[in-house]
Amino acid sequence: MKSERWNRQVIVMEYSHISPWMQDVEELPVEMSTRVRLARNVSHLPFPYMMKDDGGLEPVLAKLEAVLDGYRRVEMNGLQFEDKALLVEKHLVSPLFTKRGLLSYISEDESVSIMVNEEDHLRIQTMGVGIPMIDLYRKADAIDDMLESEVDYAFDEKYGYLTACPTNVGTGLRASVMLHLPALTFGSRIQTLAANLSRFGFTLRGIYGEGSVPLGHIYQLSNQLTLGQTEEEIINNLDELKERIVEEEMEMRSWLESEHLLEVKDSVYRSYGLLKHAYRMPLKEAAKCLSDLKLGTDLKLIEHEDFQFQKWIQLIQPAFIKMRLNEKDKEITSLEHAVEEERAALMRQLLGGE
Amino acid sequence: MKCESCNEREATIHISKGNGFEKTEKFLCEQCANASFENDFSYPDDTFNIQKLLKSLSEHPSLQQTQRRPKQCGTCGSTINTIVQMGKFGCPDCYATFGSQAADIISRVQAHQSEHAGKMPVKSRAHLKTRKKLEQLRGRLEKLVETQEFEEAAVVRDEIRALEQAGDSDGI
Ligand SMILES: [Zn+2]
Ligand SMILES: [Zn+2]
Repeated sequence: MKSERWNRQVIVMEYSHISPWMQDVEELPVEMSTRVRLARNVSHLPFPYMMKDDGGLEPVLAKLEAVLDGYRRVEMNGLQFEDKALLVEKHLVSPLFTKRGLLSYISEDESVSIMVNEEDHLRIQTMGVGIPMIDLYRKADAIDDMLESEVDYAFDEKYGYLTACPTNVGTGLRASVMLHLPALTFGSRIQTLAANLSRFGFTLRGIYGEGSVPLGHIYQLSNQLTLGQTEEEIINNLDELKERIVEEEMEMRSWLESEHLLEVKDSVYRSYGLLKHAYRMPLKEAAKCLSDLKLGTDLKLIEHEDFQFQKWIQLIQPAFIKMRLNEKDKEITSLEHAVEEERAALMRQLLGGE
Repeated sequence: MKCESCNEREATIHISKGNGFEKTEKFLCEQCANASFENDFSYPDDTFNIQKLLKSLSEHPSLQQTQRRPKQCGTCGSTINTIVQMGKFGCPDCYATFGSQAADIISRVQAHQSEHAGKMPVKSRAHLKTRKKLEQLRGRLEKLVETQEFEEAAVVRDEIRALEQAGDSDGI
């Protein structure tokens, strides 16, 4: 079987590979990428879900484009499903946005994305790895100032920036950092930790999948409250919590090393073997194996040049794999098998298997 | 391979179902895939289920009062019921339209916080400054009138007018 859609050329080639900002980043143990987003709305205009048409926003967009130099305009209704999925996997847009969003402005290195008509009229998002969260906020803040010079924001002296959802009102700020927490997951400490954090207005949850063990043991720590604190306070508190969680994870890793070394070694090398030699890899398994390998390299139980956890976790996602299949233009009898085979082939190639 | 959902069209899209990225993988035609995007992906951004929270608010006394005479937002047409149902305000003006009810919802969702402490738009900063200055001048004018210093009062009055007009033309 060979379907037309299946062999379609990827039109938006610029989005076919890992974002430039993520290339060649120095990977830390535990801490992964950080994201900051600001929710903003135009005054006296219905929020996107209440808009009858996008006409009201057009004059606003014309003004924005005057100041958005070097940004690519990506219209959602001009995109194929797979390109949308790719944008989601790269965290450039949200899944909700691919369904209802209007368009997005994406910076050249893909570290900034401004979504127009997500849940709010504007969502300014900055991403980075190994950059202090406050610096990412400053970057978003500067873009915010620039946009505000052109647009009248919905702002209230008491409630701050007005948003569609009351969970965002005030600063409109959601800051988050992805954390790789295999040891805390192994020791089941994560549930207690998450419960404690939520009492202080922060959340810790699996970023991929809602099962008891999230894909690749990757969690996202973010602020839940947006009112009553300054942006700096929110970010400082989040930073402090992050440091504490990283410390706890490192402590648990030492404990694992001293009490369960054989078990850890076994799963690290088992996973390494699978990644290097398997011919079919479901996403869940690949993510689990990569997580083990990352823990193994962090603990120096195994060494592998060029291993980049964050980058590879993205490369094994469905839209990325499908894009590789599209490029190969080969006969496919079962989509499911083809994707799993391609994922395994990619892993073998990256790890120097056969 | 046929679409797993409609079993009619060819499956052309591989989609991961679950929260964000898969618990199970699915193979769908484009129509079914597009339909499932909305239901199957959830962004780890909505930090908790606000609808559930707001549903509990509908038993709140100040919200119940409105059931007799539902007030509507003049800008977007929302009522407090649609807001609670959606878990969202319809437009920025809803915040003022539904005064104390909006305050209830916000306080509930924001852990009893009710005052913004963060950044202000540059324009609002200027506006606040102007408003403070106006308050000052009006106070002074009152005193000058009381003490019958009309000459200086006229100067202050003109200053006030100038500030008010500048404010209008800036749209603040
Ligand atoms: Zn179908
Ligand atoms: Zn309204």
